[in-house]
Amino acid sequence: MRCGDFKENYIKDEEIFPSRFVKFWLALFFIFLIIFPFIANAYMLYITNMIGFAVIGAIGLNLLTGFTGQISLGHAAFIGVGAYTSAILITRYGVSFWLSIPLAGLVSALAGLVIGIPSLRVKGLYLCIATLAAQFIFGFIFVHWESMTKGITGIHIPPPMIGSFKFDTEKNFYWITLVFVVLGVGYARNLVRSKMGRAFVAIRDRDLAAEIMGINLFRYKLTAFAISSFYAGVSGALWVSFLKVVIPEHFPFMLCIQYLAMVIVGGLGSVIGSIFGAIFMTLVPELLNVLSDVVRSYTPGMGKLIIPFKQVVFGFLIVSFLIFEPRGLAELWNRIKKFFTLWPFSY
Amino acid sequence: MKKIGLFVLGFILFLGPFSIAMAQQPTICAIHPFTGRFAFAGIEGSVAMQDVVDMANEAGGINGKKIQYYWADGEYKDDVAIAAFKRLYAQHTPQIMFGQSTGMTKALGPEIKDRYKVLYSAYTMTSEAANPKENPYLFIAAPTYTEQVGVLLKYIAKEKPGANVAFFYSDTEFGREPILASREMCKKLGLNLVAEEVSQVGGVDISTQVLDMKAKKVDYCIFHGYVSNPIAAVIKQSKDYGLNAKFMGTFWSTELQLLKELGPLADEYVGVSAYSFYYMEENPMIKKIRDWTKKKYPKVEYRSQSYMEVFITTHLFVESFKRADKMKGGITGDNLVKALQSIKNFDVGGLMPPVTIKNNSIPVGRVYRGNSKTMRFDPISDWIRLD
Amino acid sequence: MDLSILIQVIVAGLATGGVYGLIALGFVLIFKATSVLNLAMGEFMTLGAFICFTALTMIHVPFWIAFAITIVFAILLGIVIEPLILRPMIGEPIISVIMVTIGLGAILRGLMYMIWDPTYRAFPQIFSPKPLKLGFAVVPSGLLWGFIFAVITTIVFILIFKFSRTGVAMRATANDQQAALSMGVSVKRVFALSWSFGAIAAVIGGIVIGNISGINIYMGDVGLAVLSVIILGGLDSIEGAILGGFIVGILQNLTGLYIDPLVGGGAKEVAPFFIVLIILMIRPYGLFGKVIIERV
Repeated sequence: MRCGDFKENYIKDEEIFPSRFVKFWLALFFIFLIIFPFIANAYMLYITNMIGFAVIGAIGLNLLTGFTGQISLGHAAFIGVGAYTSAILITRYGVSFWLSIPLAGLVSALAGLVIGIPSLRVKGLYLCIATLAAQFIFGFIFVHWESMTKGITGIHIPPPMIGSFKFDTEKNFYWITLVFVVLGVGYARNLVRSKMGRAFVAIRDRDLAAEIMGINLFRYKLTAFAISSFYAGVSGALWVSFLKVVIPEHFPFMLCIQYLAMVIVGGLGSVIGSIFGAIFMTLVPELLNVLSDVVRSYTPGMGKLIIPFKQVVFGFLIVSFLIFEPRGLAELWNRIKKFFTLWPFSY
Repeated sequence: MKKIGLFVLGFILFLGPFSIAMAQQPTICAIHPFTGRFAFAGIEGSVAMQDVVDMANEAGGINGKKIQYYWADGEYKDDVAIAAFKRLYAQHTPQIMFGQSTGMTKALGPEIKDRYKVLYSAYTMTSEAANPKENPYLFIAAPTYTEQVGVLLKYIAKEKPGANVAFFYSDTEFGREPILASREMCKKLGLNLVAEEVSQVGGVDISTQVLDMKAKKVDYCIFHGYVSNPIAAVIKQSKDYGLNAKFMGTFWSTELQLLKELGPLADEYVGVSAYSFYYMEENPMIKKIRDWTKKKYPKVEYRSQSYMEVFITTHLFVESFKRADKMKGGITGDNLVKALQSIKNFDVGGLMPPVTIKNNSIPVGRVYRGNSKTMRFDPISDWIRLD
Repeated sequence: MDLSILIQVIVAGLATGGVYGLIALGFVLIFKATSVLNLAMGEFMTLGAFICFTALTMIHVPFWIAFAITIVFAILLGIVIEPLILRPMIGEPIISVIMVTIGLGAILRGLMYMIWDPTYRAFPQIFSPKPLKLGFAVVPSGLLWGFIFAVITTIVFILIFKFSRTGVAMRATANDQQAALSMGVSVKRVFALSWSFGAIAAVIGGIVIGNISGINIYMGDVGLAVLSVIILGGLDSIEGAILGGFIVGILQNLTGLYIDPLVGGGAKEVAPFFIVLIILMIRPYGLFGKVIIERV
């Protein structure tokens, strides 16, 4: 890997893929992503799709909480808004799946704007609780606005189609997920190195100082909420077309916690951190499941204790991550890269 | 990135041999709610399933083939359960599956019909699982929730025609499921549905609901969607506030643990269940369960109704396996459905009256009253047919 | 609705509010000194209920001894958890600290599952089940005792904070850590102690709720609704916690009485969150909270 810093102008400084080495490995990774569905079984493709949705949602949350510093405990509500919007548009108004995705994102963004208004009056912990309130209120609406959402019965959604090709298996849907993930990651990564991204970071670090320097807090905070909710809405819309059903119980408070964990464990304020976090939070429980299956087959009596132990292990992982690597997996990744930059020399 | 690729490859190689080896045996995969609000049911249910499989395998299995049984924890969360369902299916390609909740069943219903084609039952008695036209592969070994409420309503109509009835249900899919149809039933039986109270499972304060029922002069209050909380609190507080109503409940709350919570007020509760209780030893099947339990789990003193539900469901699974094995094509999902629907007057040793599958359910139930002196349920009606 | 029902509902709301206030007190005690919102409070509560239950049913000690055992346990819990988990997180963004408390909650839940199993249990009868009959209303026994405990606990803590040395030290630390340090206050001890206090309030809340509605390992979920109480009262005000609890309890019950029938139920549980949004619009720091003035 390269060492030293030989940038000669700002454009080169802001490059996302600065060297041919990085570009090469990226290309290889993309080839792997394209081959993957042909070698994986249905269960692994299911997990991969779920990771994809989680990535999009996590990037949204990271933009709001990691980059702009607005703590949000209501992310699941926005995912739900997007999910229900897409479902209602497809089943009630006959909108095609492809159009419903951006529309769902827009409706979520609108919801985000509304919920973001308190952010102009309160900060930090108080905003946190305001978004929590929004989460429960939306949950209530999902259950009780039965004329639209069909309440607890939920809505069944047909799979998306292009012509006569149905995206109804995990393998087929994977392509949709892949496209949206790439779009989402690309946009976010570019956003954070643009003027808007810098404004977000300024707001996070010292918002009063940012205001003095001419950054319109009102505009940028609300934009952050809107963009974050757009991502959440798209993630939700994709998720429900994948599952082919949406019920209010899909969006509990626990989902907010999961996304927060993704963002924090992955690394606040880092797009690649969101990706790592999403992968971590989706894979680790599944790995624990597989592991406990294996352990159970060898020690049949211990079956009952292994189950809750999974919870303990999981909580323990989160706590240790936060204590020992508070800047998340992204930081870990950076350190590994730095190590190899100078290898075999140590400094 | 490369590390993930290697890991995934290793994962595939690990799983590959397993799936090929196991596909041919009669296989049951189940998702039990080991953690979460229904954990008490999941733990007992999984033991029940294991017991039936072991009993059947000891008796020779399915014409010599041993039944394979695998399970996973669904945590009473739908997305975890769905992931577990797909994982188990990918690993073992079972012919029969058992799910954890109403929510998961509804979510997977269409896919089971179109893609998986496995015989399926679950910890639920939702009407969607007793609908052979829409969901031919789903069935329940019990009456649906609507039918259970129907039993209670018929009992009320006989005891006090034109009575004031209240529904007290939980704000969940499970709780709301039979309400629509039950409202109609009230009208048909000439009962006045004067109040509908809703609360979360585990609400701290239900005084407004109790007071509302008092204001509306409720004679009978039917609970649904709860296990024990807040039923005990409502019954206790009704005494404090002077609400003179009779309390009734559906299957999942008609359990001994509710009676323990009620203490001296246990006589106030009437419930409906499709099965006999563990202490009704005069039934040969119950005796068999008791002997097995004493042998294998000497410390266990009681098996709940959740145990009975899963026990009988698995018992029917085994019977379906046996019948399907003799059909052309052997053990497949479609044959299992045909086998299940051929079950008529099947003797289950008194756990239930002889079983006839109708509309993919067993519409039979009995009304029980709690007894505060013996801390047990006494039957106050005969087995009622609900069709 | 006739008046007697309305009064009854308000009285019941007051009593429930007392229980909420107790849990809110736990949140506030920890937040006041350490600025940490402990989302594992629900699990502390549940743990307290289980410890008391075990003491009563396994060792068969009279209630007051079981109560004392539970309090001692709470103190130990605070003293152990704070240095182990919270101290390494000093200086980290607040969101990470909240996440750590959530992780802690998950660990506690898993441990409780392994030690006690998930069946629902009835709390042994420790208070007389006779309700209190005031002339105009009736208060069920569980709620009554919850109210009594809440009020007594709040008064005790208010007195501690006002008059005892420890209390003054805690207030000083909450105000300005540097200044307190330079005055010889051991901030480390104050942190650990505030966690112990919070745990004490939580376990008392757990015993009270266990008495009302039985115990099981998931009873801690009521902790979230209590967040609206602390917003109303102010995140760092002890009086605010109990008064906020009363107000939220009454408002919640009024919603249950008047609005639930209109929307088919469920409004009662979501009412506290509407209250939160309204408060945040009008008076973000709550009724009694300290207004934070920021400087660049």
